[in-house]
Amino acid sequence: MPLSKQRLVDIFGKERVFDDEKTLQEYAQDQSFSPKRMPDFVVFAERVEEVQQVVRFANETLTPIIPYSSGLNFHGAALPDHGGVIVNLSRMNKILQIDDENWSALVEPGVTFERLQGELMKKGFRAMIPFGVAPKQSVLTSYLERNPVMAAPSFEYGNFLIMDTEIVLADGEVFRTGIWCAGGKPGGPMGPVRNVIFRLWTGAQGTLGIMTKMGININPFIEERKLYFITFHELSEALEPLKRIQRKEIGMECFLLNRFNLAALLSEEWKVPESFPIDPNPSESFEHFKKTIPPWVLAVCINGASRYPGEKIAYEEDALKEVCYDLHVELKESLPQVSGLNRILLNEILYPWGILKKFNYRGSVHPLTFKSSLSCVADMEAVIKKVCDSGGYDASSIGAYLLPLERGRAVHCEFDLHCHLNDKKETLKVKNLWLKASETLINQGAYFDRPYGPWANMVYQRSGHYTTKLREIKREFDPQGILNPGKLCF
Amino acid sequence: MEMKKKVIPNKIPREALRALEDTLGSEWVTEDRAIVETYSRFSVDSAGTLRQHQKDHTMLPACIALPQSTEEVQAIIRIANRFKVKVIPFTNGMIAFNGPSTPDPTICVHMSRMNRVLIIDEENMSATLEAYADYGQLQAEAMKKGLWNGGSPLATTLCKLSSQTSFAGIWQTDLKYGTLSRNIISTKVVLPTGDILITGSDTVSGTNCHWEYGPGPDLLSMVRGSAGTTGIITEITVKLHSWTGGRTLPEPPAGRPCILDYHKPEYDTAPPPQRVKLLWVEFPDYDSEVEALRTIAQSGIGMGLNATGVYNSYYCSQTQEMTLQRVKGKFFPPYNCYVILFGVTSDRQMDYEEKVLREIVAEYRGTFLTDEHKGDVLDALAPWNLDCIRHVTGYRMNRYFYGGSIIPGGLLKDTAYKTKEIWTRTINEMGETYITDRGGIDDTPFLYAIERGSRFWLSEADVYPNPLDPKSLEKARGLTVASVVDFVSQKYPPIGLGVAIEPLTSFFPEQGPNAHLLFRKIRKIFDPNNIYAPGRQVFTEEEYKAVPQEVFDSINALRTKYGLPPVKR
Repeated sequence: MPLSKQRLVDIFGKERVFDDEKTLQEYAQDQSFSPKRMPDFVVFAERVEEVQQVVRFANETLTPIIPYSSGLNFHGAALPDHGGVIVNLSRMNKILQIDDENWSALVEPGVTFERLQGELMKKGFRAMIPFGVAPKQSVLTSYLERNPVMAAPSFEYGNFLIMDTEIVLADGEVFRTGIWCAGGKPGGPMGPVRNVIFRLWTGAQGTLGIMTKMGININPFIEERKLYFITFHELSEALEPLKRIQRKEIGMECFLLNRFNLAALLSEEWKVPESFPIDPNPSESFEHFKKTIPPWVLAVCINGASRYPGEKIAYEEDALKEVCYDLHVELKESLPQVSGLNRILLNEILYPWGILKKFNYRGSVHPLTFKSSLSCVADMEAVIKKVCDSGGYDASSIGAYLLPLERGRAVHCEFDLHCHLNDKKETLKVKNLWLKASETLINQGAYFDRPYGPWANMVYQRSGHYTTKLREIKREFDPQGILNPGKLCF
Repeated sequence: MEMKKKVIPNKIPREALRALEDTLGSEWVTEDRAIVETYSRFSVDSAGTLRQHQKDHTMLPACIALPQSTEEVQAIIRIANRFKVKVIPFTNGMIAFNGPSTPDPTICVHMSRMNRVLIIDEENMSATLEAYADYGQLQAEAMKKGLWNGGSPLATTLCKLSSQTSFAGIWQTDLKYGTLSRNIISTKVVLPTGDILITGSDTVSGTNCHWEYGPGPDLLSMVRGSAGTTGIITEITVKLHSWTGGRTLPEPPAGRPCILDYHKPEYDTAPPPQRVKLLWVEFPDYDSEVEALRTIAQSGIGMGLNATGVYNSYYCSQTQEMTLQRVKGKFFPPYNCYVILFGVTSDRQMDYEEKVLREIVAEYRGTFLTDEHKGDVLDALAPWNLDCIRHVTGYRMNRYFYGGSIIPGGLLKDTAYKTKEIWTRTINEMGETYITDRGGIDDTPFLYAIERGSRFWLSEADVYPNPLDPKSLEKARGLTVASVVDFVSQKYPPIGLGVAIEPLTSFFPEQGPNAHLLFRKIRKIFDPNNIYAPGRQVFTEEEYKAVPQEVFDSINALRTKYGLPPVKR
């Protein structure tokens, strides 16, 4: 059966089906190096039943379906590699529940971090948010794509944040995971039948189903928080203090920024963009901070508690001072080069999109996002610097953000390369460097656990039967291959 | 005179047996009846035990194969595929449905020779173990390096982490560390095709084992809780956490007991490890206890928070008589819980946490057990000082045969009150098999805090039939199934832990809906020749068709009773 606009209009109504050139162009490209691909239609879903219907329609017509929430993935995950219908879920934007007794929220894909955090704060709660997400980014999609939140150093508060989920499968059936599966209310992540089955849909870029609801953990917002800094000349110097701090389970948030990224965050002229890519903008304050602040800054945030917050901060602070004393590093509550850094970063932990000002540098950002063991992080940095050096990219223009995961068992690394996409020569150079650095990092053992775009081939060709099994599962779950084809190893 | 039925075990094809002997060596493959019975001995399964009473020959594997390496497991699986012979993996048999439930001859792959702790990676806080390595081995090795795995089930050295990955993994310290689900970095799995699947970061060649999610969609989802249907886990890498409790655990002042002395109380009095403190609290009523549990779980303190009710009686009694005496005499306070404090950061952390705990307990009119207040009870609970970290009294649980459980889970109030309501209704209607079945009726049921924040709790109620009495076993099976149907009729899943086993998968399509069909598809992807772990977790189409009509009739009768439509064949 041919792809027919009328069928889509029957499902969504004509005011929610678009095939005009301007709209299609908006969905054909993002700020990544992924090639431009035009969709055939863009539709706006408002109800789960509509998602079910469009999936069934796609099966009949062998039409690719690309789930789309906020379009702020930055890696090409929502581009229609094979054309088809973009199913925009941004109007499914209800916060269905904020359960202040059991500390959870139930959200649809269109709920953004900015809105959720605002609503939670009114009730004395907070969501855990990844550093560098856009304020309009979908909470559900970000969690589903396993973007690590800033509290990820804490095993207890910053990981395993997904509870119950609702998914429209490739045959149009609705499937629920967690305690919710039996038709009652949401209340936990386990089941049905296998207790972490929901993890199959994480990192899947919508290739195995379209998630329409997600229960997530929320936590009370504790007013009393204290931020500390340790500065370093070299990344390698930071690793032992980081390890000791994490082994003693001090603080909740803990992260390392290099001077490029911290300077970008502190820029007074730059604003957080609303869409990506943008045109580059000059910033005097960025250039000033980039020259004056230390090469690496480690930030540790100790959170109080609902009872005796000061006493909790005090014992953790004592332990932190002890670590610093033992290692002969200076613990600071401020940096002389930056006034108000403490306040700025405490706010950033709750609303962590200030770092997106970095897009103003050259207009687009191309992150090398991977996981590494703590002991290998400095080697990974050296690899990136070496590749950049060989390709004529100034190492001082690499942004870096490192986040220890689960008390330092692993580290989430983001090293950014920048380029202006309108400058073809620069774009080609940076793209080639980015690809070369990716390949070299993977060869060195860097782990790209969310293999977007060209990373997919690099990762899956090294993954043996994991890749084979994924393909077999995809074939069984989505025999017509309609869900976001061309992504991952599918 | 009626002739006694004789069980005649199945035989696998002679060619298959020879191939196994060639691969493993003839000393590691046997059809010897005594050895087969010994190596396939199981417990915690009223239905299986009942089938043994009925001389059901399908409870007996055809042979035992004892591999020593992943490669040998692969070879066994390839032989099984070649000769179309069924296979079941087996560790200690401490869980329901271990028996092969197929009329076909079955190879029992016993993992007992793969029992080493392979790596304690201090730098990356992980440990890699073979399939038969247990929690006790792991803890002993990890603690030497200032690390530990974060918890222990009830019977540390009986439980193997790989097996628990397939079935269970609830710990006493889930409040801080979550269940085993949250602590697996990687598994190496011999698939039913004989291929090897590695989950986690080290599935990518050249990458080390530091992150739990595989690239893209995470295939641990296929392994965890699969009841072995997606393959045999031959190696598992788990997370380690900071341990400040000392390189070795303290011993009781009386020293280590020999087996003859094990029941004596002087061996139960070990102090807690360094920077670990166990505090017992009683509450005046159930409502106060439930509210206090929520507040403690949300306060950010403690490593473990659990309520154990009547179960203290048989964990902490030295003899069966003492258990009965204590249950009948209500020796243990009915609404009690314990909190485990752990000072990873410092001693001051312990002081802070105890201060917070004392304040909360006072708010809910709770009373700490002390030498002055019910000192005899506190004294009796002394084994938990160590057991909360490395459980040893689980060996000695003084009650009849443990014949099955219900494990509801979810929000605290739902879990706490529904378990009590439904288990009380079931027992009142059908009667108990033994007085200890009443745990959770006259007192608090098991309640485990699974994470900070009080979002998710697990409960448990158990049956303890006389294993020598088929009627008692029948009743035990009836109690658990009836209460599960009651739960499902009220829109709760049949198992809160999420690890369903048949008939809870196919006969309760409410979970999904039709989740069983999805899982049947998955089973076929992993096991195209249908040779693996027959009858476990989700029936294949063929197995479902072969379910006896009386099973359909009895479950459908219960479904109808609780207002659920009958399941069609």
